[in-house]
Amino acid sequence: MSSAVIAGYARSPFHLAGKGALARTRPDDLAAAVVKALVQRTGLAAEAIEDLVVGCAFPEGEQGLNVARLIGLIAGLPRSVGGVTINRFCGSSMSAIHYAVGQIAAGAGEVFVAAGVESMSRVPMMGFNPLPNPALAKVSQAYIGMGDTAENLASQYGLSREAQEAFAVASQDKAAAAIAEGRLKDEIVGIETKAGVVDTDGCPRPGTTAQALAALKPAFSASGTVTAGTSSPLTDGASAVIVTSEDYARAQGLPMLARIKAMAISGCAPEIMGIGPVESSRKALARAGISVADLDVIELNEAFASQALACIADLGLDPAKINLDGGAIALGHPLGATGARIVGKAASLLQRTGGKYALATQCIGGGQGIATVLEAI
Amino acid sequence: MPHSIKKVCVIGAGTMGAGIAAQVANAGVPVLLLDIVRDPANRNAVAQGALERLGKAEPAAFMSKRAAKLVEVGNIEDDLARVAECDWVIEAIVERLDLKHALYEKLEGVRRPGTAVSSNTSTIPLEQLVAGRSEGFARDFLITHFFNPPRYMRLLEVVAGPASDAALVAKVSNFADRALGKTVVRAKDTPGFIANRVGTFWIQQAINAAIDLGLTVEEADAVVGKPMGVPKTGVFGLVDLVGIDLMPHLKASLTATLPEGDAYRAIAVDHPLITKMIADGYTGRKGKGGFYRVNREAGKRKEAIDLASGEYRPAAKPPTIPGAALKDLRALVGLSGKLGAYAWAVLGPTLSYAASLVPQASDDIVAIDVAMKLGYNWKFGPFELIDKLGTAEFAQRLKAEGKPVPAIVELAAGRPFYRVEGGKRQALGLDGEYHDVAQPDGVVLLDDVKLTAKPLLKTASAALWDVGDGVAAIEFTGKMNALDGEVMKLIGQAIPLVAEKFKGLVIYNEGSNFSAGANLGLAIFAMNIAAWGEIEKLVSGGQQALKALKYAPFPVVGAPSGMALGGGCEVLLHCDAIQAHAESYIGLVECGVGLVPGWGGNGEMLDRWRSNPALPKGPMPAVAKVFETVSTATVSKSAAEAMELGFLRPTDRVTMNRDRLLADAKARVLAMADGYHPPEPPVFHLPGANGKTALDLAVQGFRARGLATPHDETVSGALARILTGGEADVVDTVTEQDLLAAERREFIKLVRNPATQARIEHMLLTGKPLRN
Repeated sequence: MSSAVIAGYARSPFHLAGKGALARTRPDDLAAAVVKALVQRTGLAAEAIEDLVVGCAFPEGEQGLNVARLIGLIAGLPRSVGGVTINRFCGSSMSAIHYAVGQIAAGAGEVFVAAGVESMSRVPMMGFNPLPNPALAKVSQAYIGMGDTAENLASQYGLSREAQEAFAVASQDKAAAAIAEGRLKDEIVGIETKAGVVDTDGCPRPGTTAQALAALKPAFSASGTVTAGTSSPLTDGASAVIVTSEDYARAQGLPMLARIKAMAISGCAPEIMGIGPVESSRKALARAGISVADLDVIELNEAFASQALACIADLGLDPAKINLDGGAIALGHPLGATGARIVGKAASLLQRTGGKYALATQCIGGGQGIATVLEAI
Repeated sequence: MPHSIKKVCVIGAGTMGAGIAAQVANAGVPVLLLDIVRDPANRNAVAQGALERLGKAEPAAFMSKRAAKLVEVGNIEDDLARVAECDWVIEAIVERLDLKHALYEKLEGVRRPGTAVSSNTSTIPLEQLVAGRSEGFARDFLITHFFNPPRYMRLLEVVAGPASDAALVAKVSNFADRALGKTVVRAKDTPGFIANRVGTFWIQQAINAAIDLGLTVEEADAVVGKPMGVPKTGVFGLVDLVGIDLMPHLKASLTATLPEGDAYRAIAVDHPLITKMIADGYTGRKGKGGFYRVNREAGKRKEAIDLASGEYRPAAKPPTIPGAALKDLRALVGLSGKLGAYAWAVLGPTLSYAASLVPQASDDIVAIDVAMKLGYNWKFGPFELIDKLGTAEFAQRLKAEGKPVPAIVELAAGRPFYRVEGGKRQALGLDGEYHDVAQPDGVVLLDDVKLTAKPLLKTASAALWDVGDGVAAIEFTGKMNALDGEVMKLIGQAIPLVAEKFKGLVIYNEGSNFSAGANLGLAIFAMNIAAWGEIEKLVSGGQQALKALKYAPFPVVGAPSGMALGGGCEVLLHCDAIQAHAESYIGLVECGVGLVPGWGGNGEMLDRWRSNPALPKGPMPAVAKVFETVSTATVSKSAAEAMELGFLRPTDRVTMNRDRLLADAKARVLAMADGYHPPEPPVFHLPGANGKTALDLAVQGFRARGLATPHDETVSGALARILTGGEADVVDTVTEQDLLAAERREFIKLVRNPATQARIEHMLLTGKPLRN
């Protein structure tokens, strides 16, 4: 099997949905700007791209109609480049990467752009016409609210509100430090809006204290422990990585951030969907033939602090290796865009830290986990 | 409607200036709000801060978010030249003549000639304001005195000087009337104009007399409250509301300018208790407390101050005023004991003082009455009150006490100040003759219609009137204009009559509210005797009557003002068009009492929302919108907000001036009458059980967050069944009749639910919703 590499990573700034600086930007325009800039930055010959694979959790409205094709056209990719939209909720753009890797392995192409997008300002979570199946709703928790799953894990794992808040403060601190030291600059593509170019993140709240978080009301259950401060915010954003065969990257002299070593999907009960990364990470690590101890860099998506803490406990992860530049609680979580961000981020961090193995993993609404193991080249 | 004044500048962003700017914006007119530079780094900070406070004001200063965007802030150092963009400049800076003079001097250099400049001063004579100014400035200058809060207080006192341009004064007055919704009262250039002059005297006299006669604040307010027509607050409650610390200011300014020998000077004493209250921060509701306070340390106990000792004590039950004295002012002042003595001690001097202001402050008794009714929320003006006492009896009692009798009372010579002659209301003039009380051009009042006419139809709870020009009007006549079978009966009878003899119909009520909704008292009575058949009849009877209204062969215009709740809202939803007063508080509030809209409101709301182009397509968005609004019993805080909530269609219109509502509604009927066709019945595609599952899931989430109660879940489940079409599948067609049947089914099921019955009982007993 021909191995696949990450040959470039970029993202838009992430901004709060509704009131943020990208609320008035169409998601297809947003993703196209990122894809276009990434292709240019990498020096990739656009006509070599086989397919543009775009993850999106609510592919309707401005994100509908096979938005991947439309993004390719807006980005000015050659007409010969395909476009496919993939939905696995929060795992959508990590699945887009997996799809590209699989195509390369199957010999169905050598060069892919795997992207992700979500405008949570413009397409609401649950979509415009939520029509759940009444029979399924009766017998399962398939449609459970995400916050309720976070509460379930908090009580199941005995995670105190204080522990969740300490985790959130750490995420904010790491993001603030990364921004202050300019460590996020290279990955961000400035987005032109009517109000000017937006080129910095809008979600982080530097200086967040445990004291301030302790004053917030529970967001999902009157007697609960999960608050807005320990949840990732509703976010607008897009991200993209270039996935090529290793042979192609070497032949063209493309920058190789990391090799994709292993991938996995797993399922779990919808009511504790946040624990999804545990099983998918175990599977991926086993497929890579390594253990948790071998990991140097971990990108564990922070849908909620409680969910991340439960995964850390079950997998025995070293907190010092997790989310070095901050996680989704601080940076934001545009559902369809997060997967490509954390894989791209993990690959860049391997280079920056000189580590050997990285894990990128996330939980998925409805009860799934997805994981990717990367290896330094 | 385009206004002759296209942009306004307000200078001075204090409470009054900012509030005036907000009301200009509420009228849809852009406004520039300027204040001084206090912070060189943020030069607009003062006006900007005022704008931010306006956004949070309670009650709301803005009628909509769109209005808030029409206010632009600036400062007088950088932006004063921009008054050249404006057709009216309102000065509302601090009450200091030197500062006003300095500002006017600068304005002379930058304003366009012909741009009106007015001061919101409440104390400084116009003569002094224009002293030293150019001829042109004096020609364009007037006083426009607003009352606080400017959005809600309808009075505007306008004072023109001898040099003022009459046409410009008329232009400003007309804008204030039609665009800002104010009733303009012309006052002469005398201290305190009309309302504050009489009002300040009244408050001082009422406090003096309570202390002199040894009344408690509760006793005083019981006498001044309902019997004299200041029902909500009485006098001490009113002072608490406006701020006790305002009193010394008003007193200082009046005593500085009132003529020697003015009766107010004799009563303007300082009470040590009140001086101490202000010094200690007991300035009323905005401070630590006032004459009344809520003691939170004692478990939210309502307390009142002892006027003798200055100590708070638990509030006492108001004294019982004998029935006759509640309604008859003569009986009230004739009561033996301190309550009767107090009533006369307040009314005698106050009404006498008000009467003595003719012709000093105004030649027109109507102007004085209107000023007190709209500026101080008196139910009756001073001359109307004297009529209640009898002009002869009033004069006699003054004489008997050795007090002077005001000239206008002598002139009345035992005749009333007001009479009805030839179907017209007339008032006594300075010439001793009666003159018609003229309404401004374009004002039609149902009360005036009633002076000459008899209703065309009448039931126990509604009446039909001929309001002229081929238009008929239905009014509700029950308590709080509540709706019942008698209203529906009248609607049923009115339709053939209007179809035969009129061009169209207005549904309009002149009281402070359109309708508080269905008569819950009747409902609970029927429940108690398990008369379920009767309740079902009431529901289906209402449905039929309102649909008959909707499909009648003539246009129907609903004209709400104040509250239009529950069934009152459903009446409006069945009209072809709504002409709403800006202060319309509209909502389907049935869920609050454990019910669902039962008179066709659900289908009408669905029909409004699904034709809203801003909503995404598909079966759910309209359903979800209506569900959200109705399940939470959301009530609009203005007509503009009612449009945002979908109670009004984008084509419906808003009238700013309450007195113009009926005339505007009539005009709307006449505009639609030619070639009128009733609407086609709508058909719906609804999401069925799938959609209901989505709504149920949402409600479960609210429940988990502690925002919904167990019975909320039951009630919203019933609502969801109606709105989603019940068993209908998304490919089915649901008719209006299907929705009405679902409404009836769910309504009757809920009415039999003890938890709903508990809600209704609780609402009737306490006026507040039960959260069970």
